[in-house]
Formats: sequence, C-alpha cells, structure tokens
Amino acid sequence: MSAFLPLEGVRVCDFACVWAGQTATMYLADLGADCIKVENPFVWNPATRAAAPVLPATAAARLPAWMAGHPNGDPGPRPWNNSPAFIHVIRNKRSFTVDSRRPEGLAIVKSLIAISDVLAENLALGTLGKLGLDDDAIRGVSPNIVILHLPAYGRTGAYVEGRGYGAHIDGVAGSTILRGYRDTSPETNVQTFAGDFFVGMHGGLAMLAALRYRRQTGRGQTIELAQAECSASMFPQSALDAAWNGRVAGAIGNRSTEGLVPNGVFAARGEEQWLCLSCRSNAEWAALVDYLGRPAWALAPDLSTVQGRRKIEDIIEAELADWIATRDRDELFRELQQAGVTAGPVLSAKDVTEDPHAKQSPAFQRLQGTEDYPATEFPAPSFTFSHSDVTLRTPPALLGEHNEYVYRELLGVNEEEYGQLEADGHISTTYAPEIMGTR
Amino acid sequence: MPHAAEPTALDGITVLDLTSHIAGPYSTKLLADLGARVIKVERPGGDPSRSLGPWLNDEVGLERSGTYQFLNTNKESIVLDLKSSAGREVLEKLLSRVAIAITSSPPVVAERLNLTPEALRQVADINVLSLTNFGWNGPYRDYALSETVLYAMGGEMFSHGSSDREPLKMGGTASLIQCGAMAAIGALGAVYATEVHNITQRVDVSLFDVQLNSVDRRSSAIMAFRFSGRINSRPEVAGPSTGAGIVGVFPCADGYVEMTASAGPYWKRFAEMIGHAEFTEPKWQDPNWMNSPEAREEIDLALYPWLMERTRAEIWEAARNSHAILAPLFNAADLYKDPVFRERGLWTEVEHETLGSFPMLGRPYVLSETPWAIRRVAPSLGQDTTVLLEEVGYGEAEIEKLRSSGAVA
Repeated sequence: MSAFLPLEGVRVCDFACVWAGQTATMYLADLGADCIKVENPFVWNPATRAAAPVLPATAAARLPAWMAGHPNGDPGPRPWNNSPAFIHVIRNKRSFTVDSRRPEGLAIVKSLIAISDVLAENLALGTLGKLGLDDDAIRGVSPNIVILHLPAYGRTGAYVEGRGYGAHIDGVAGSTILRGYRDTSPETNVQTFAGDFFVGMHGGLAMLAALRYRRQTGRGQTIELAQAECSASMFPQSALDAAWNGRVAGAIGNRSTEGLVPNGVFAARGEEQWLCLSCRSNAEWAALVDYLGRPAWALAPDLSTVQGRRKIEDIIEAELADWIATRDRDELFRELQQAGVTAGPVLSAKDVTEDPHAKQSPAFQRLQGTEDYPATEFPAPSFTFSHSDVTLRTPPALLGEHNEYVYRELLGVNEEEYGQLEADGHISTTYAPEIMGTR
Repeated sequence: MPHAAEPTALDGITVLDLTSHIAGPYSTKLLADLGARVIKVERPGGDPSRSLGPWLNDEVGLERSGTYQFLNTNKESIVLDLKSSAGREVLEKLLSRVAIAITSSPPVVAERLNLTPEALRQVADINVLSLTNFGWNGPYRDYALSETVLYAMGGEMFSHGSSDREPLKMGGTASLIQCGAMAAIGALGAVYATEVHNITQRVDVSLFDVQLNSVDRRSSAIMAFRFSGRINSRPEVAGPSTGAGIVGVFPCADGYVEMTASAGPYWKRFAEMIGHAEFTEPKWQDPNWMNSPEAREEIDLALYPWLMERTRAEIWEAARNSHAILAPLFNAADLYKDPVFRERGLWTEVEHETLGSFPMLGRPYVLSETPWAIRRVAPSLGQDTTVLLEEVGYGEAEIEKLRSSGAVA
C-alpha cells in the first residue's frame, strides 16, 4: 500500500549542519524525501552531531543538560549517535560517509548529486566552493537541481564574512534585545536559538515550494535564505513600529506585545512552580475577578477595560503574585481555564514527560533502542496527516549507517571499489583517529 | 486579483483562509507570498488582528494595523457571516474551488459553526488543515492559549531567564509566528500530496505540539531528560562569562555584542580579533588555566577596554575580518536603517490605495526563479467581496441582497 508521501521519490543531498540546516532538511525527510546526510569521517562539524567527538561523562556533566544530557549521563564511545541536542533532527534521514576533500570522494559526492533533486547546505560560506562544489559545478552535474543555501547574513553584502551560531544571528535579527527582564540589561540574557527553529522551517518550506515549481515546469532554482533576515520576520511588530513611527522597543519582561493586561509569569506554591496567566479580553478579566472572589482592589470600574488595567499594571501583577504564591500550580491552571481565564503551567522538560495532555499528544512517538541509546519517546513531526504517512518512520540515522545503501544500491559501487573506499577511510561508522585524538 | 509578472512557485494553488489573529494568518501569508492565491474570509468587523498595533504613523484605524498589514500581504479579503445560512452558502461555493482550506477555530467553535475538518471535507473533496491550541483530543482540548502561555507550556520557557527569577518569554509574538510557519509546511505538504497521488486529506497541527517539538532547545531539553534525568534549568549567574572561554552578551561603546570564544580555533580567532598577542600562548588552550581566576582576570583586563573603546560596527568588522564568533545586538531601528540589509532588499516599499506608500518588512528568502514579492498589499476589509461573489456565480441583485442581510460585507 502506498504511504502517500508527498515527497516520495525526491532525493536530498544533505550537507546541512548545526540546527537550522538539519532542521530544514528534516521537514523534507518527514514528508517522505530520501534525505541523505553527507558526512566526512575526517572532519568534525561543530554542533552538528554532538558537543564533541570524545566526551567523557565528567565533561558532559559540566555542559548544559540540553547539550549533553546523553543516556544515563554517559555519552559512551559514540557521542555522535546519542546527543540529546541533535539526535532529533536526524530522524527519517539516512547517513553515509565520504571524505569529499579527496578526488575519489568528490567523485562519489558528484555521483550522488547527479541523482538528487535537492542539495541543501549551511556550511561556512565558501566551504563547498573550496571543495569544488560551487553552484556552477553542482548544476554541471545536475542542471535542474534545487539548491538551498542558508548563510548567516547573506551571500552578498558587507556581512558575508560574519560567523556565528543561532544565538549570534538572533542578536542581529533583533530577537535578543527584545527578550529579558524589564529591569536588567541585555548582558543577563541567556542564549536561545529561536532563529534556528524559524529558519529551519522556512528553509523546509522554500525547498518544498521550489520542488513544486520544478515538478510543474522542470526547472530547478537556487534559494538563498539569509538567517538573520528570515528571523527578523518573527518580530514584525517591533520592526514596523521602528520603520513607521521611529519607536525602538526593548525587553518588556513577560508583558504582552499585543497589549494584554495582565500577562505574566508568577511563582506558585513549591519550588520552581510557575504559573503563566493572560487575560485576552475584558471578559477574561471579569472571569478572573469572579474567580478571585471579587476582591476590593479588582473592582474599580476603570479596570474593566485594558486601558484602565494598564495604568495600574504593576499593582495588578503584585496582587496576582501574592495570591498565586500560596496556590497549587496545576490546580490553579485547570480551575482558571475552566473559569474562562487563559493560564498554564511553565512546564519543565520533566513536567512535559508527566503532563497528561503531552503524554497522549502525537508530538511524541516510541522509538526502539539501539546500542547507543535506550528505547524512548521521541519527537515526531508536529502535524498529523490523515492519509500520508508523515510520521517518525525511521529512527535517527547513525553515522554511516546507510553506507551500504548509498554506495551499493544508489551508486552501484562494486565489491572491490567498496573495499578500497573502506580501506581508505571513506566508508566508516566512526570518526578518523585524528578526530578522536588517538593519533 | 494578483497578477504575477514573474512566475511564482505556487502558481495555480488556491487556498481558502479561514484563520484569524497571528499564527494562522502567518501560515497563509507564507503561501500567498510564494504565489498561491489566498482568499481570506473575515468575520463581520474583520480579523481581530486589525485591532493590534503598531499603527501606521501612530494613527489607529481598521486598515492601519502593522500586525494585520504584515500578516496578510498578497491575500484577498471577503467578509462572510458564517453564522448565517446565506454566508454559509457562499462559503460552500468557495470551498469547491480551492486546493486546501486552513482553519484556526477552536474545536468547540468549529463544532458549533459546522466548520470541523470533516464538515468542510463533506462539502468539497479538498484538503483541510486545522490549526488548534491543543488538537482535537485530550484533556486540554478546549483550553485557551495566549502567546505567552503557549511558550510557557509548549516551549522551553522554563530554562529561559535566571535561576533567582521567573522564567521569561521570547520577544514579540514569536511563539505564535513560529507555529504559523509549521502550519505552512503541513499545508503545502498536503497540496503536494494531492498533485502527486491525487488524494485529499485532513492535516491537524496544534500550537502546543509545535512548541513541544521546537528546535530552540525544547526537543533537546526533553530528550536530555528522557535520556539522563537531567532537567534543563535557568542558569545561576545570568550574564556574560569569561571563565573557561567567553560566552554571552558584552557591553561596548554604543550597545552590546554577543560573543563565543571557547578554547580551540574560536579562541585563536578571538585573539586575532582583539590583537592581543599573549592570548596565542599555548596555556590559552589548557582548560585548567582557562578555568582559573587569573585567566579570567587577564581576559577581563584585555577584553573590556577593547570593547568599550569601540562601537558595535567597529567590533563586528574586526570580528568578520578574523572570522570570530561574534555579532552585534541590533534593535528594530538598527535593522530598519542598516544599509547592508537595505541594499539586499530586506525592506520593501509598498503602495496602498488609501494609505499611500510605506515600508514593509520583507522576504524570508530569495528564490532565483520564482521571486518572493509583495504583489499586493494586505486587503482592506471586504475589498474582494463583490469580485469573489461574482466569480462563484452570484448576480448583481443577489449580491445586493446578501449585503443588505449582513451575510456578506
């Protein structure tokens, strides 16, 4: 039976790294493309498969949980196959290894490009060119291919040499300056990577659109997605306020860009129990006042409008903080929602695994264990299709897991050549000794 | 009707947009900007996002909302009262002409108005994508979300901020706009499946699920807990760090820069950037030395004066020359005025029939053959009602009757 996958028969030659790029190609893989990661066992791409190729448990423990919370706290001999930071963006993909810096490796890569419909990359600007794979060379092999480049600040202009990760690009996109406490400077902001997520989705969408155009017309094209420019679209309100009115927004804590009052995060009873609350309308405010038991401070007629509430926003927040401090977070959440007030717990990663709604959500699917990680719930595509099998179909690709498939089935490499490529280190399921620090 | 001078990627795809507010309209904006024909159905009075700022020249007005103008470029607008039987009839005629309908009504509302995916698919054999808060099942199905509550529950708010204070939201309405991007992928995926397999289907996207699987640390934090039992939490000392390498936001002469210079090649680039020869000595690759208070003091003494004597522009230029991992913190005005991004085309000047011309934040990507373009500014309320009614077969007298009954506007 057909899985009705939208991208059935589409092949992606995937040079993507870090989060933004690997996320973009993940969406094509989710939709059914045969997405093949091109990986070099002689090159360690930072922040792509793990924090480091050799990662003792003691070192992992010093890194943030999201980066280095490997199974049982111990990355083991192959950290690149079980990193919590990256394993999820390798789902539904395949992995093969080749040293594309050597002529025979480059030839292999070119033969894969020749049978691919898409090539996606976000290596440091110029890296592909140095390998002999600039756009002209790629089109020389595959004239109608769709090419996605994800430069940080563009492939033209004065910023082409700018280097950075998501946190740095978020800085230029205007994200970092907008998030923070109202009474502290941006120096206290911790790194977040909103742009990686956003850019990944837009890269996926742009490739999908280009593939659709190619299907209609036979024509490929080149997509340039400058990450900082794309990420700016996350903040249209502040961007247009600057452009139209010359106003420059800064951090507003947890207050609302849409002007909702109240809108905030408050400590509930117990340790690290936080409740987030918004009144999205005057009706929600009225419902909140009723739920509070109509205390005197909340009954001033002024407060029935958002303009009135804004005048004493500090006081409202202080009253709510006092009141919430002694309440149970989850009980309050459910009762407020049932009373018609928008509220929710700030769910930690642990809370998510225990949350009754998240537990039954299609956002997670059970994944079988391997030598490198135990069986667990795993992030699945965030949409459910009634007919197409857009699900977690194949587990995250281990390094070089699909060498046989790519070399033998796709590229028709014979036994003797395969042996030679293996002997020369192209074909591998581990990194070269110089990467592992054993030579 | 948008007339594309140049080919667009989504030529020939028509979308019926039944969404409102922020997330849904962003998904259909993405499709419209790529060339799909998007027919936006607005309730009488208009999409509530028309009441959200910023306002063009600070003047409040139905057509002057920046939120609305941004989220609805390249769309057509028809006003329908879906509670009336005549409005419903128009809806059904429109449904039969599209590849996909996209909805954002909460389940209870959809059930009351007969706008569930099943109900719409009974009218016409089309794709339907529903964007809901929490999906169609489960204990929170009928709960409400705001942008902030969405990030609190779904996203990785818990570890954003400092450990002695409350967790923090992102800027703007980022969590909603992110969800719109995901819905656009789902919608185009469904239309693609129609073109390949000749099937139509239902696609469901929930805001909560999108944020639960956000790549911005959320998937990683949840995986890390499942794998190791470690909980990602807010750091104890929020602020830049100059021990064991440099990470964080640092002040400079006219603002702030974000910098990373851990040991290894990034450290060498950093040393080159600030031109401090001592930093190239081998001890600066030794984690024990890097962790020491003496190292920290040496870094601070060299780094802070260097930063405070320079502007963001000067520092970023030095960083680019050395490929150091550094970027300035831009605010919205910086982004608007920046000559490099201007020249590249991040901003587009658009022409509005009644408001004159104004700048609009531009393209998320550049497609070489099917350029991203604002072919038409966001529609005024009901701008296309008459044309669309004529297109689906209503005569002049019938349209007049529909208007006077309030079913259309």
